[in-house]
Amino acid sequence: MHMAALEPLGRDDPHLYEEMFGVFLESIPSSVLLINTDLRVILANRNFITKSRKSRQDVIGQKLGQVLPEAIIEHIDMARKVREVFRRNQPIRGNRMTYRAPGIPIRIYYYSILPFCRRGTVETVILLMDDVTEHARLSEEVRRVERHLASVVESARDVVLSTDPDGLVLTWNTAAERLTGFPSQEVKGRSLFERCVSEAGEELRKVFTQLREADTSQTGEWELITKDGNKIPISWVFSPMKDERGTSVGVVAMGRDLTEHRRLEMQLLQSQKLASLGVMAGGIAHEIRNPLAVCSSAAQFLKNPELAPGLREECVSRICEGIDKASSIIENLLRFARPSSGAEMAAVNVVDVIRSTLQLVSNQAKIGKIAILEHLPDEPIAVYANASLLQQMFLNLFLNAFNSMPAGGTLGVSLRCTQESVLVNIEDSGCGISPEHLEKIFDPFFTLSPVGKGTGLGLSICYSIVKQHLGNIEVKSKAGEGTVFTVQLPLL
Amino acid sequence: MTNSRPLVLIVDDEPDMCWVLKNLLGEDDFALRIAQTGEAALKFLESESFSIALLDAKLTDMDGLDLARRIKAIDPWISIVMVSGYYYRDDVDIRAAMDNGLIVGFIAKPFVHSDVIEMLNVCRQTKWEHQGPALEEALGPSAAWE
Repeated sequence: MHMAALEPLGRDDPHLYEEMFGVFLESIPSSVLLINTDLRVILANRNFITKSRKSRQDVIGQKLGQVLPEAIIEHIDMARKVREVFRRNQPIRGNRMTYRAPGIPIRIYYYSILPFCRRGTVETVILLMDDVTEHARLSEEVRRVERHLASVVESARDVVLSTDPDGLVLTWNTAAERLTGFPSQEVKGRSLFERCVSEAGEELRKVFTQLREADTSQTGEWELITKDGNKIPISWVFSPMKDERGTSVGVVAMGRDLTEHRRLEMQLLQSQKLASLGVMAGGIAHEIRNPLAVCSSAAQFLKNPELAPGLREECVSRICEGIDKASSIIENLLRFARPSSGAEMAAVNVVDVIRSTLQLVSNQAKIGKIAILEHLPDEPIAVYANASLLQQMFLNLFLNAFNSMPAGGTLGVSLRCTQESVLVNIEDSGCGISPEHLEKIFDPFFTLSPVGKGTGLGLSICYSIVKQHLGNIEVKSKAGEGTVFTVQLPLL
Repeated sequence: MTNSRPLVLIVDDEPDMCWVLKNLLGEDDFALRIAQTGEAALKFLESESFSIALLDAKLTDMDGLDLARRIKAIDPWISIVMVSGYYYRDDVDIRAAMDNGLIVGFIAKPFVHSDVIEMLNVCRQTKWEHQGPALEEALGPSAAWE
């Protein structure tokens, strides 16, 4: 084959092949030993001489057992194998051996024993040894790193998974198994979107499209469905996985279970809500005790059997009115304390929410000598929101405004719409906020109220509620003149 | 005491409450003036001298205790009773107002009618005791409770 191409050269010089053979033998990065039927080495190339740290005399003419360490010869039964090649005229390929020569680090070889056959008999065999020490070391290193990475991923308490660019799951760590109840093998090769609630799945499809196009990570909250059918809120970071050419080969997803976080958040919201109910207690007491007093007195008048018929009728109707009045005040409070809508996001008429919240603080306004000026449209304005959270936010802003007007004043509430959002202005004629405090007012526990009067959570909770609704809150204030909060919420 | 009806000022922003007090006290035993704001109450004081004032704690234009102070500044002899759903009997502000003599009594809403009547009778008495001798000295015996 290749020889044919070389043949013309050989015509001029019969030693050419011999010389070439010598050059090849000396330059190839493998150790070559030629062994005769006595199992003596009759030829060793430079590579072997160097690696074995022997001189040529120590090798040529020596029995194989003296050239290679006895341990190896016996361990891999080299002599028998060589004899077998002589007898069968069949090569033995691709075996591994570990070679220890004195004073040098351990080496690992792949060896082959090839028969060299002339005129039907195997005259010599060639022992070919490739040093794969480095190769073996590297692959061991690679395995170690792989094991390490795998244990990092497996030990993580967060969900760590990878998918192909279309969202088919490639890896699914223990945390993901534990959280969802789905073992890795049930999920691998299936779409990640199947594991999400349907709307989340749709959104994730879009996220994956963006990931294919852009280099940046995508973050967000999407719920996973467990094997038992429960929904778990997860905060995700999706990052594109690119190969060395920059082509998108997949997606790495990290997810954190937000259940506990949500529970604490709900507790905080609830306790802040109860705190604001406490603030309103005075106003509520006053407002409820007035109709109660009227009812009580009217009933006492009715005890008099000689009461004039006109007054008797008046007493009865005032009792009925008084009871209605007191119970509607209580109902407003109940609605606030235990909202019917729960934690659901839905289409909400923001005008209604503002009106009912104003009603809730009307008692407080009355005793605080605060006039409420509302400029709200009659037609509904829909936003996608959690009504109860919105009410809590408005309540906090209203009570905050009241706090800034200890001697009474005016609370203006107005609303206007732009193309995409609704802007609610909450304006007070209070003491205002100085510029150095203005930037801190949304920080948790920042308060200008005396100890025991304010928790310092109201406005920070407003901020988080507005952000949760993908909106914005801004404040403008002039010390001594008043403050305007503007809440911007995206229109549905 | 028999031939005179003490002049009583009722101040409450709730018309219903005014209706109750008016019907309770009646025009036979007391002469009543009714004001729904602090300013209106002060206006009455410009022209008439009251024995007793029944004040609500929270008015639309001012605080009941502030109004009490302003009334006292005009007429130190008047007996002021706070009738309120906002405070309770042992409330710090109420105790302080009682201790320093700003108000002579406190009635929590809702109230038992006899308590109010009794309170007004005590006030009448108190006014007579406090005011009587002083005025007697100044004006003579018959002028004391006119």
